[in-house]
Amino acid sequence: MDLHIERRLHLATDRHGVVGRRDFLHGLSAAAVAGGSLGWTDLLSTRAADLRRQGMACILLWMPGGPSQFETLDPKPGHDNGGETKAIDTAVSGIRIADNLPKLATMMKQVALLRSLSTKEGNHQRASYLMHTSNVPLASLHHPTMGSVVTKQVRQSDCELPAFVRIGNAFANTSNGGFLGTEYDAFAVVDPSRPPENVAIGTSPERFERRLAIVGKLEQAAGKVTERERDHDKLYANAARMIRSPQMKAYDLAQESDQMRSRYGKTAFGNACLLARRLVEAGVTFVEAALPNWDTHQDNFDRHRSLCGQLDQPYAALLGDLYERGLLERTLVVWMGEFGRTPRINPRGGRDHYPKAFSAALAGAGIRGGQVVGATDASGEEVKDRPYTEKDLFQTIYKCLKVDATREYISPIGRPIKVVDGGQAIQPLLG
Amino acid sequence: MLLKTCCGATNEPPASTAAGPDSLSARVDRTLADEVFAKRTDVKLAPTTGDEAFLRRATLDLVGELPTPSEITLFALDPSPDKRARLVDRLLADPRYGRNWARYWRDVIMYRRVEDRALIAARPLEQYLADQFNRNVGWDNVARDLIEAKGNVAEEGPTALLLAQGVDPNDVASETSRIFLGIQIQCAQCHDHPTDRWKREQFHEFAAFFPRVGIRQIFQNGQTRGFEIVSTDNAPLYRGAGGQGRGAREHYMPDLKNPTAQGKLMTPVFFATGQRLKTGVTDDERRGQLGDWLTARGDGWFAKALVNRLWSELVGEAFCEPVDDLGPERACSAPHTLDLLAKEFAAHGYDLKWLLRTITATAAYQRESRPRRLPDQVPFAANCAQRLRSDQVYDNLLAVVGSMSGQANVGSGGPLERLTAAPRARFGLLFGYDPSVPRNEVSGSIPQALALMNSPALAAAINGTKRELPLGKLLASTTDDEQAIVDLYLRTLAREPTDKELTVAKDYVHSVSSRAEAFEDLLWALINQTEFLLRN
Repeated sequence: MDLHIERRLHLATDRHGVVGRRDFLHGLSAAAVAGGSLGWTDLLSTRAADLRRQGMACILLWMPGGPSQFETLDPKPGHDNGGETKAIDTAVSGIRIADNLPKLATMMKQVALLRSLSTKEGNHQRASYLMHTSNVPLASLHHPTMGSVVTKQVRQSDCELPAFVRIGNAFANTSNGGFLGTEYDAFAVVDPSRPPENVAIGTSPERFERRLAIVGKLEQAAGKVTERERDHDKLYANAARMIRSPQMKAYDLAQESDQMRSRYGKTAFGNACLLARRLVEAGVTFVEAALPNWDTHQDNFDRHRSLCGQLDQPYAALLGDLYERGLLERTLVVWMGEFGRTPRINPRGGRDHYPKAFSAALAGAGIRGGQVVGATDASGEEVKDRPYTEKDLFQTIYKCLKVDATREYISPIGRPIKVVDGGQAIQPLLG
Repeated sequence: MLLKTCCGATNEPPASTAAGPDSLSARVDRTLADEVFAKRTDVKLAPTTGDEAFLRRATLDLVGELPTPSEITLFALDPSPDKRARLVDRLLADPRYGRNWARYWRDVIMYRRVEDRALIAARPLEQYLADQFNRNVGWDNVARDLIEAKGNVAEEGPTALLLAQGVDPNDVASETSRIFLGIQIQCAQCHDHPTDRWKREQFHEFAAFFPRVGIRQIFQNGQTRGFEIVSTDNAPLYRGAGGQGRGAREHYMPDLKNPTAQGKLMTPVFFATGQRLKTGVTDDERRGQLGDWLTARGDGWFAKALVNRLWSELVGEAFCEPVDDLGPERACSAPHTLDLLAKEFAAHGYDLKWLLRTITATAAYQRESRPRRLPDQVPFAANCAQRLRSDQVYDNLLAVVGSMSGQANVGSGGPLERLTAAPRARFGLLFGYDPSVPRNEVSGSIPQALALMNSPALAAAINGTKRELPLGKLLASTTDDEQAIVDLYLRTLAREPTDKELTVAKDYVHSVSSRAEAFEDLLWALINQTEFLLRN
């Protein structure tokens, strides 16, 4: 533990991640340091806030297409709108979810269900953007996505891997670093069962080092090493540091036992969830894994059974595994799509888009599990009592992750933009 | 659908570039000197750039690729005094010219899309623009086409601007103003503009030109076959509050105190001139009239916005930054120079090739490049190095290493995944940037470095033993290492190596036992240098 803290101290952070220990000391009162009045505990408390923040991580399980709340977290078996979906008991008495998710039901002590989400966007593109940025899309400004905001504020300084990772290729309209810049874009991993693209050096390590060295020598010989060349060199040094890092092992699922791989299921989404856990364990701050195709305008019930079959085991395994490793305390796991689906079942046995009343699930990082927050009426058409908007949800997520949602960033045309413009953290979830 | 360009005039290139542009270029330089340099005591103008650097710069700027080794040699040997102007003429007549600038404008439009399905129209847009630019259709005609567009988005390129904004009247109005006028009128969408004179009412009057733009699915034999942009002249008057106003007959300004109410019916008024239509008129009339008013010679915004952008791309720094925020109340580093160029550009019928000829002939363009200046340093004392756009880097790589086939398959996916799965598009996801963003804010990324260092496709193409690949062919064609090194520099950086570079490279080749391996390393090193990604 002490060693761990010492290492963190050694790597005091700035906005790019790492500055030297000297720079950190520089920021303290010179007199205090010179007079020796600054003790070890002072040093610790100076950094305590940062240390607390730096451990936080988030895994967002993104369900593009818009899952039906009736077939997942908010079944209505007694009502016509509920269709053929039944409800089952969970590990928490009194909480019942759809029979499509039996394994998730066993994890209910860790999970809080939010059944009163309500937004105004029923179009896939606009709603996907909204649920990733808490803003409607604008031509004039690209808002940073959740993972970019979180990594900008709370990335771990001693992690040599990209801090924000997206697994899969179903991230249309979910934004990226936006006006924060490409350095906050997600690092894309298309197939979790293979290493990320372009991290394997195609030559021997000796030749790779030789090549890096000759780049520097040639640039020196060209006689124009400016700020730009130095930035370029830094970038290459960071990229090389990453691919040489022992932490890259996190991307290798083969390091896991067969038992563990079976626990998650050797499916695309199972692999994605297992990789997400390995990355968080290695110090990655934000991982997003997508399970697409929830847009069930027809054959809603069969398709939800199949989709939930792909979701249930990996999701439950992820929660259980994080919990057993003590990682759930510092890792927020969010499950959501861009909207819910209509209470009324259409003539093709489908459900259409419904942003007015839908559900999400949260676990870990200060979320009080084993409870349901908010409710819909018997028909599922209206939120009872108070609806929570996307902004309330973002305030809650950022509060859990110790991200300052009141901070303002400046857009390229000089306009101050709040991290979340409005809303309030949903207190009952935080318990 | 009706496109004005089918009957629009094309601007024939003049027989000689000697007279008109040259004299105007000189006036531009004099105006710049009077209003910028004369007032400062700390002006250190960079010298005129050498032929080699000029050739690389102009070729990248105009056709988007590097000059070939033989072009470099021929240009160096050409003794004629007007060879720079003749080079510019040759490049403007090259079909790659239209393609290069079409890709630039495609990026301008597509990076601000609010819906990824707009990517369907990206390719048709590029083809449409390339054709217009190569035929040198006036910029006013291009603007009118984009504003008045209709039809199948997979075929009619001009629909891309509307589709990129999901045909929302507010967003279409914002983009139309930003791209064609350089005015960020959208700041007045919810409140009066904080720093300019625009009022909230003016924004919504402008949006009232676009409520009748609709998008609908095309049905054929009971199946959907994509989307088309249509006029919704028979739609309901009003479609509800918020972002739900698409495909209504009229535009309403929301009541901020009561956002669910219908709001106030807006008359279409063009904020820059005050010209107005009545409510109730057709979509064709609204968009057609706006196209005429917006491109008219009077107020100057339309010409200024374009001149400011092109100057920024060519000289490396805009008169007003960011390039799409001209004001009216913005600091401009050389307002008289901008006015002069804009006025003449309009007088020349918005002739883009004329403008490019004029700017490339200025001393301001032809100065040596320096890194971006600090805010308190004199503007335009040097040309400013720029990051290449993704397509330019991609084409340069292709030219250097031959093909880059064998890209990893991203797997099956929907139509959107297929659109972004092509190697060039995937490269664009890594190396692309929004051309409207100030260049000092465009930074390199780790995935970019990883791709250039380790991409298997690139690694396979950097091969000194296979004669069917450029490097293997080069090594087989000569045993002279020095000659081979010079050739590599010409191909990757479009210049000869300095004596020092030559020495370092030769020493390196001698230090590695395998000649092929040594040259593979050198080529790798040249591609991974800062300079490879820059236009100096």
